[in-house]
Amino acid sequence: MNDAMAEAAISSKSSPESAEAPTSATKSPGRWLRVVLASIAVLAVLLLGAALGMSLQLLSGASAQSEGGTVDVGFAQDMSVHHRQAVQMAGMARDRSADPAIRSIAFDIETNQLQQIGQMQGWLSLWNAAALPTGQYMTWMADAESMPGMGHGDGSSGAAGVTTMPGMASPADLEQLRTAGGAQFDVLFLRLMLRHHQGGVPMARYAEQHGETAQVRNLAEKIVVSQSAESDYMMQLITQRGAQPLQPPR
Amino acid sequence: MPSGKSSKTVRNARPVVTATKPKPWGTIAAVVAIAVFAVAIFGYMFTRYEDRRAFTPTAGTKDPSTQIQGIVIQNYGAGRGHIGPDKRVAYDHSPPFGGPHDATWAACNGVVYATPVRNENMVHALEHGAVWIAYNPDKITGAALQSLRDRVQGANYLMLSPYPGLDAPISLQAWGHQLKVTDPADKRMDHFIQALRLNQYTYPEIGASCDVLSGLFDPAKPPPFVAAPPGPDAVPLTFSGGRGTSPGDESAPATPGGTPPVPTPPAGG
Repeated sequence: MNDAMAEAAISSKSSPESAEAPTSATKSPGRWLRVVLASIAVLAVLLLGAALGMSLQLLSGASAQSEGGTVDVGFAQDMSVHHRQAVQMAGMARDRSADPAIRSIAFDIETNQLQQIGQMQGWLSLWNAAALPTGQYMTWMADAESMPGMGHGDGSSGAAGVTTMPGMASPADLEQLRTAGGAQFDVLFLRLMLRHHQGGVPMARYAEQHGETAQVRNLAEKIVVSQSAESDYMMQLITQRGAQPLQPPR
Repeated sequence: MPSGKSSKTVRNARPVVTATKPKPWGTIAAVVAIAVFAVAIFGYMFTRYEDRRAFTPTAGTKDPSTQIQGIVIQNYGAGRGHIGPDKRVAYDHSPPFGGPHDATWAACNGVVYATPVRNENMVHALEHGAVWIAYNPDKITGAALQSLRDRVQGANYLMLSPYPGLDAPISLQAWGHQLKVTDPADKRMDHFIQALRLNQYTYPEIGASCDVLSGLFDPAKPPPFVAAPPGPDAVPLTFSGGRGTSPGDESAPATPGGTPPVPTPPAGG
């Protein structure tokens, strides 16, 4: 029956004059066609909807079995990476600086951020989410562009995130820190760590405002408060040493 | 399709002669085009999504790497013994991916090593949750090498090093896991890293650092790789760092693995 209809359709198209199909056959193909077209259209819409849903989950770093919210998971993954670099630099300063003021702020940053990484990793584990982000950073910050101090890092930026988070020291910065010594090391450490804090605070502020879970919003808020205070202190230490801070993240 | 119903009504009301004439070829083409587009987009997203979902460790699927074709999995247990810088371990795989190791770990926080590094230090980094990408320097050069460097440089818990005499162009190691591939664009590399890097169910020392152990390890001048097979005085794989049988320097403050025999580890691999 279907083939007959299709043939009728083709012949009616190619030579409408000669088309002498019976009445019943000419009425039903139209209805049949409409049903098929409508079904295909509905299916297409459903598929696109599913694709959109998956793309949002992919961007957020969450996965099907992840029980965390988009902002919660993205913040915990990205801030773990951001914190790890602070821990790395602070560990170097605790080991190598001779200045008690530097050593104590370094020990403080190292231990508190390490503990916070542990909290975030614990949440990710309970949410069945990956420990590390995949692909771009900060994809969970939907309207990040409108936030003051929210830079593009050193990488490309757009709706899909950034390749480098704001405030992160480059491999060259870290190499310089590794080879520096004495007062030069102290000042370089302070400048890199201050810029690192300045980059991390807006991320935490976003999570404080948009996090899905109360505990996540609370940690984010505490990061904003304590890192802002540490930033003021490091600014003071930099000035005391007759140095200038680095350009804050854009 | 809100207009569908009304146009249908109009159409059905028409005389038979006109009903045979116009077929909505434009509409058909448009709907088919949209459907093809939707299927393509859906297929693409679904593949990527499935990749991510399938290789993320969860309480239900603790080791998703078992789905990777060609993966070698071996249970080395947890908390193996530590040896000193003058000793060697009789590893059972090349490159090794588990067993006793040097007390000092190789820095594994996105380090690209220019020269081959001593196995005993690299294995310690695997115990800390890192993935080690080793490549044969005779086979991986130019753009292929650059793509590996770009992937590793600065990345958390990844390290890259040349491995002379490697029996494949590229070999990936995580604690108790190994995958050898020929192409740096092989998707299985992504799957391996997604499944095993910092996988809390498969690496022994949760929370351990990949940073440089200050004063004890220099990533710019790492202890060199030794190509010669370990001699008869090499530390056996079963060495657990137990007291009294110390074959080497046991400065093992980082893990509690130095105490009595290694307990049977929980199934992790």
